Amino acid sequence: MILMKRFIASVCLCVLLICGSYAQTPTGDILLQNATVITVTQGTLEATDVLIEDGIITAVGQNLEAPSDVSIIDATNHFVMPGIIDAHSHIGISNVNESNAPVTAQVSVGDVLNPYSISIYRALAGGVTTSHVMHGSANVIGGQNETIKHRWGVIDPEGLRMAGAPRTIKFALGENPTRVHGRGTNQRPASRMGVEYVLRETFSKAQRYQEEWDKYEQEARTNPRAVSPPYNGQLEIMSDILSGDILINCHSYRADEILMLMDVLEDFGIDQVTFQHVNEGFKIAPELAAFGATASIFADWWAYKFEVYYSTAYNAAILTRNGVLTSINSDSGELNRHLYHEAAKSQKYGGLSDDEALALITINPARQLGIDARVGSIEVGKDGDLAVFDRHPLSIYAVNQYTIVDGIKYFDLEQDTDDMRLAVDPESRIETVVLHEHDDQHLCLHEGELDLYDFLTNN
Amino acid sequence: MRLLAGIALLALLAPRHATAQVNRGEEVPDVTRTYALTNTRVVQEPGRIMERATVIVRDGLIAAVGTDVDVPFDAAVIPADSFIVYAGFIDGLSHTGVPEPRERPNRERPDDPGNPPDAEAGIQPDRAIHGLLDPEDKRLAALRNAGFTAVHAVPRGHMLPGTGAIILLTGNSANEMIFQNQTALFAQLNPARRMYPGTDMAVLAKLRQLFREAERRQRFQDLYLTDPTGLERPPYDPVHDALMPVLRQELPVFFHTESALDLHRAISIQSELGFPVVLTGLNQSFDAVDKLQEAGHAMMLSLDLPVIPGQSDSDDDDEAPADSLVAEPTDAAEKLPEIADPGYNVNLRVESLADIAAEKENLEKRRAKEHKKYLANAASLSSAGLEFGFATLGVKPTDLIGNVRLMIENGLSEDAALAALTTTPAEILGVSASMGTVDVGKMANLIVADGPVFEEKSNIKYVFVDGRRFEIEQPKRSNRRGRNSTEQVSPAGSWSFTVSSDEGDVSGTITIDGAADDWAGEISNELTSETVDLANVSLDGNTLEFEFIIPEMGTMSVSVVIDEDTFDGDITIPGMGAMPISGNRTSRPQSNR
Repeated sequence: MILMKRFIASVCLCVLLICGSYAQTPTGDILLQNATVITVTQGTLEATDVLIEDGIITAVGQNLEAPSDVSIIDATNHFVMPGIIDAHSHIGISNVNESNAPVTAQVSVGDVLNPYSISIYRALAGGVTTSHVMHGSANVIGGQNETIKHRWGVIDPEGLRMAGAPRTIKFALGENPTRVHGRGTNQRPASRMGVEYVLRETFSKAQRYQEEWDKYEQEARTNPRAVSPPYNGQLEIMSDILSGDILINCHSYRADEILMLMDVLEDFGIDQVTFQHVNEGFKIAPELAAFGATASIFADWWAYKFEVYYSTAYNAAILTRNGVLTSINSDSGELNRHLYHEAAKSQKYGGLSDDEALALITINPARQLGIDARVGSIEVGKDGDLAVFDRHPLSIYAVNQYTIVDGIKYFDLEQDTDDMRLAVDPESRIETVVLHEHDDQHLCLHEGELDLYDFLTNN
Repeated sequence: MRLLAGIALLALLAPRHATAQVNRGEEVPDVTRTYALTNTRVVQEPGRIMERATVIVRDGLIAAVGTDVDVPFDAAVIPADSFIVYAGFIDGLSHTGVPEPRERPNRERPDDPGNPPDAEAGIQPDRAIHGLLDPEDKRLAALRNAGFTAVHAVPRGHMLPGTGAIILLTGNSANEMIFQNQTALFAQLNPARRMYPGTDMAVLAKLRQLFREAERRQRFQDLYLTDPTGLERPPYDPVHDALMPVLRQELPVFFHTESALDLHRAISIQSELGFPVVLTGLNQSFDAVDKLQEAGHAMMLSLDLPVIPGQSDSDDDDEAPADSLVAEPTDAAEKLPEIADPGYNVNLRVESLADIAAEKENLEKRRAKEHKKYLANAASLSSAGLEFGFATLGVKPTDLIGNVRLMIENGLSEDAALAALTTTPAEILGVSASMGTVDVGKMANLIVADGPVFEEKSNIKYVFVDGRRFEIEQPKRSNRRGRNSTEQVSPAGSWSFTVSSDEGDVSGTITIDGAADDWAGEISNELTSETVDLANVSLDGNTLEFEFIIPEMGTMSVSVVIDEDTFDGDITIPGMGAMPISGNRTSRPQSNR
């Protein structure tokens, strides 16, 4: 549908690709020698080399030859794994929530990427090479998300984008949207029923919008004087969701509301969804699997508000064993630095195998984000995104040594000096440097609940 | 002849009207509208200099420039052999002439904050500056005293505040001031407060919505006007209507950004929507030079320069040269690639908590180095072959020339600086035929200085605007006192204050003591009665500024204007923007005498 707009959109995309990220994306050549290579999808290989050329893995094997100009890393006694993928994060963006309306599908955090954010470097330090940076959870239908690669030092925001990654959007159920809009401004939704109403109403509007445009495009074929319906940026995005062009990532905790969303999506013919957090996912794992829904969860984080009390650390294992594609995410600029520990918890609680545990932070999030053809495992033809540890990454003693993105070493523990910032505000005060940047806090409700009165009364 | 000239000069120095209108400033009565600046050096435009020339001003225009010019009988002769004449400066963008509103607009959150009235949300492309201009605005005279003669003035506001005009720094009414109206649509990434669009990403989404729908309506309107058969009447609203000249490429958007991030965002949305654009502000553009070269947009560069906290910018000379800032490298250094003179120790790795002093010192050096990038920003654009005009938006008029000087000291050529104040803004604004150079037939917008205009010891003696002469009284040279240094206010004493927010008001007390240039104080709020010290307390004229730190939130900055025992102004809270703050003095310090 909407052929003309599609065309314009794809032209815009091409312009972006050509002028923006494509030209901005640097790639490199690296040969890693004599490592234990954890491919995640194709077993673990001892004393193996990995060759990356022009940012792409071109060979995995023993005694590889490389052109003389390729830089070599001796990885003897080291463990190489695919770059970690964080399926839920709010780092590297200037805005998180546009919390003034319950539906803000038209906004996109991709418009406000911030390559200066030190959290990107800190994520690299934890072996994370790709983040799915998301709009917050203040709204039932929040903004569009962006999948970024951690190309630290690239200062053009376009250079962070993972070009070609599928489009995704944030939805949110439960307490956050009802608090921000119901209690906050006396708007819908004030209850879980209201959340469902907002979803159905908005999807219905989008269907009507699609119909009007289809009718117009039909007429425009024979009538050059046909006038298009009014442009509505929000319903454009909603239409793209209905058409399956944008993947829904929905903030959710309770089993009942998760079932509700699957019902709504079924009614509107949408068959793809990733639930985020999903603390009660273990209760409805078969239902999730039957729908084909996927889950991106915390390893063991709960009880920070009423709707998150009924939780278990066995969630990852239960979902996995029930055939639900599952990932573990950070939602935090701190937790993302040790996602490999989070993955390891699924071995203590549920006994997942090494590959199953590591898949939670590599190939599984890649599949959820639709980028598994390029990242998430060590295979020839995939992007040269790797993390190199001194011990097995599921060991509590493992320390990340190097992080490589597109064949370029962006993190090297040896060169991790005190001040890695890309820019400094000349008007900043040295004594105000604090350990915790904004990014390090749980940001789902950032800008959604900040207000002066609270701040002055609580501080 | 010399006697005559002397008498003429005396006449000009006669007492001035005490109650002169602000925008008329120091104007002398119009005995004649003809002036002769004789035997002077004329910098006609950057690089084109005429020595021992005479400039004749008549009826608002430059009637003659040359070495062989007869002085008309009716001319007031100004012997200018020790002076230099320049074209009057042109300000590429500011709110000059549009005073900051004393009363805050209604701060009630609308019932439906997701769908507020356009004007409340800062969407006012239909607003013209004409009705907002106030000839009494003090900045008009202050800018003229700094050598400016024309200003591209735009309304204040949020994302789309309205259309601007080129105004002259003379005239007693908006009608007299406006040289050319409807010059540009002003845009900035300045979200609305607590309503949509309340974030930068929403401002960008709103721009898409507005431009795409305006485009549709334009097509619709064109169809309907040619032949309405089979069509409903197109919808009308002033907001979309005001965007149509932009879509027709007839009206440029002056898009204002300060950070490099915002600049990238502005360039992206422009290339997506394709409107004609002039980029303004660009304070951190050294981080986007390649992209600016590629985009090729016209630019108005801000004359604002950052000031390192605790350093008054008048004593920059005390700063150690960059070379001495390099700290001793540590062992780690050998493993790292050479970086040309980073100005600080890039390899510093102190043991945790072991050597905070060394780390702090290094951070200070890093900051000083980054500060230099801002001072050299104009030079980096210029050496990349990019041309720009200068804009005074957000800069104190008394800092303007000093900041140009700082840019020159940091690598900008004097010719490039002069071009950025004269020929380039004239060209970008499309007024080269009438402004920007000292040539016959152009408007008599001139600066007469007693030395090279960017030199610290030089003074501007006269400014001509539209052929009207203003004598410039020299500002006191000492430190940067405010524009109204005659009335000396003291902030000392105890104040009660109220911050008005949408969630209710917060009150507290501020205590300030000390003496000139050495103010200190503390602030507490009545809810927690916790007390925090003030930092960077400064008084400039009657403007009091200070900062304080709340650990979880960062640095709050306050700027208020004191009027006897009350003050009014803004408190800026990181991540939340500015909120109004007002106060009353509850006690003054006991006098020692």
